Amino acid sequence: MLGSLLRNRFEPPHLSKLRVISLFSTLNRAELRTIDSLLHQRDYIKGEIIFDEGEQGQAVYFILSGKVLICRQGRPVDGAIAELGVGQCFGELALLDDAPRMAQVRAADNCILAALFREDFLGLLQTHAAIASKLSLELARLLGGRLRDTVNRFVV
Amino acid sequence: MQRTHEGVNPITWCGIITVTCLVLFLFQKILWLVVPFLLALVLHYLLAPLVKRMVLAGLTYTFSAGVLTGIFLMVLTILFILLYPWMMANAVHFPTVIARYLAGGFSILDALLEPLERHFLVKANFSEALRFEFQSMQQGIADRQVSMMLSTIAFWLPSLLLVPVIAFFMLKEGAYFRKFIGSAVPNAYFEQTLSLIHAIDRVAKLYLLGLVKVVLLDMTMLWVGFSLLEVPFPILLGALAAIVGQIPYIGPLLGCVVALLVAGTHHPGDVLLAYQIIGLFLVVRLLDDIVFIPHLIGKNLSIHPLLSILMLFIGGSIAGVAGLMLVLPVLGVVMLLGKTLEQIITDRRLRARYVFSQRLREREARRDLDSHRS
Repeated sequence: MLGSLLRNRFEPPHLSKLRVISLFSTLNRAELRTIDSLLHQRDYIKGEIIFDEGEQGQAVYFILSGKVLICRQGRPVDGAIAELGVGQCFGELALLDDAPRMAQVRAADNCILAALFREDFLGLLQTHAAIASKLSLELARLLGGRLRDTVNRFVV
Repeated sequence: MQRTHEGVNPITWCGIITVTCLVLFLFQKILWLVVPFLLALVLHYLLAPLVKRMVLAGLTYTFSAGVLTGIFLMVLTILFILLYPWMMANAVHFPTVIARYLAGGFSILDALLEPLERHFLVKANFSEALRFEFQSMQQGIADRQVSMMLSTIAFWLPSLLLVPVIAFFMLKEGAYFRKFIGSAVPNAYFEQTLSLIHAIDRVAKLYLLGLVKVVLLDMTMLWVGFSLLEVPFPILLGALAAIVGQIPYIGPLLGCVVALLVAGTHHPGDVLLAYQIIGLFLVVRLLDDIVFIPHLIGKNLSIHPLLSILMLFIGGSIAGVAGLMLVLPVLGVVMLLGKTLEQIITDRRLRARYVFSQRLREREARRDLDSHRS
């Protein structure tokens, strides 16, 4: 309670926005500031395509505000896969390899996203091993969670 | 700079060559800024691993970059303080020394050509013609003012002092620069553009650091070779020849000529030594082309040999020696840019997404206006 109060009092607003992102939840303020220097903030309007299925992925996106829709290419209604909101991320496999994107992502609402490029993430591994290991652990948790969801949905 | 001449259409090629020429023309006009900028880029890539280690140890980027570039600046200043009095004291002797080395060089060239002339080219009189050329060259150098040399140093010194300053900001603000560029690009082209910037950064790093390693290896081999052949000033000559040797095609020749001038002055008429020096340069060149360059620089600047030669002529005629040194790296970067821009511009899907996004924004901006009208 007190920690949150102090944090809100002294933390710049743009860093507080980053704190809601699940992947950054374990980072301290200095680490968040380092990540912030690498993030590219983008504004998307409702309906705008963020990336297409089959496109080569270079960055992971974090949702700072609004919602996005993950769907099959060009089928936002009957091919919807998931809808993600504030604090969630998508395109995270791009951090691991440069395989093509597995689905299309559209802005389901006016939204603000932050993008982290693979090159910058790899740079973090060299310069800020602590941040990179925290991010990697959170990424592994996220991917594990998604794998579990998929198994539960299709196998059980 | 992958093999971009494959799959690039002729119009893009014309654009790439035109842009390369324009960039060289512009570079020639602002050479006082381009040279320190390029040196700063090399320094930035050399210091970046050290900065990363310091950051990993818990220091900030700004502090690490400041300390390292500060140390570099201090070393430069100390060198300048040490060398300046010596240069001032010996400046008046420079023309005499250069004329002496030219005369020495001529003697060894004369000794090299004389047997050839005797056996094959009796009527060619090459030695006579060369003697005349050398005499006029010596006269020209003797006539030149020492003040001109000093004013050249005075012109370049402030720009070279900029090197650590520019390197500091490159180390400190590299990430912000990418953010700044990214913010100017529409959403549809965002990922491709940022990937392009990363690719250019990666290739420039590989190329420049590879070049530094090749220079160091060449310098070591030449130093050892000159020492074994008892050529005077082996380290200085090795360093000079290794740096000049990076000018494509004519560089190694220039380095060899300088070494022959020095050898001819200190060992007049020693033809065997001249052949050994030429052999040493041939070995170093072969090792560069077959072993070092493919391994250290790779095929990142893989440009068709015919295009390389053509561009070297164009670069030389546009920007002189600077053009010769810069034309291939500039062409490589422009090729990468050209190829990616062609891909982005001709990608109908990206263009359609951009138009779609603009339409959505336009509609959003007019929404309440339209509802009010209805």
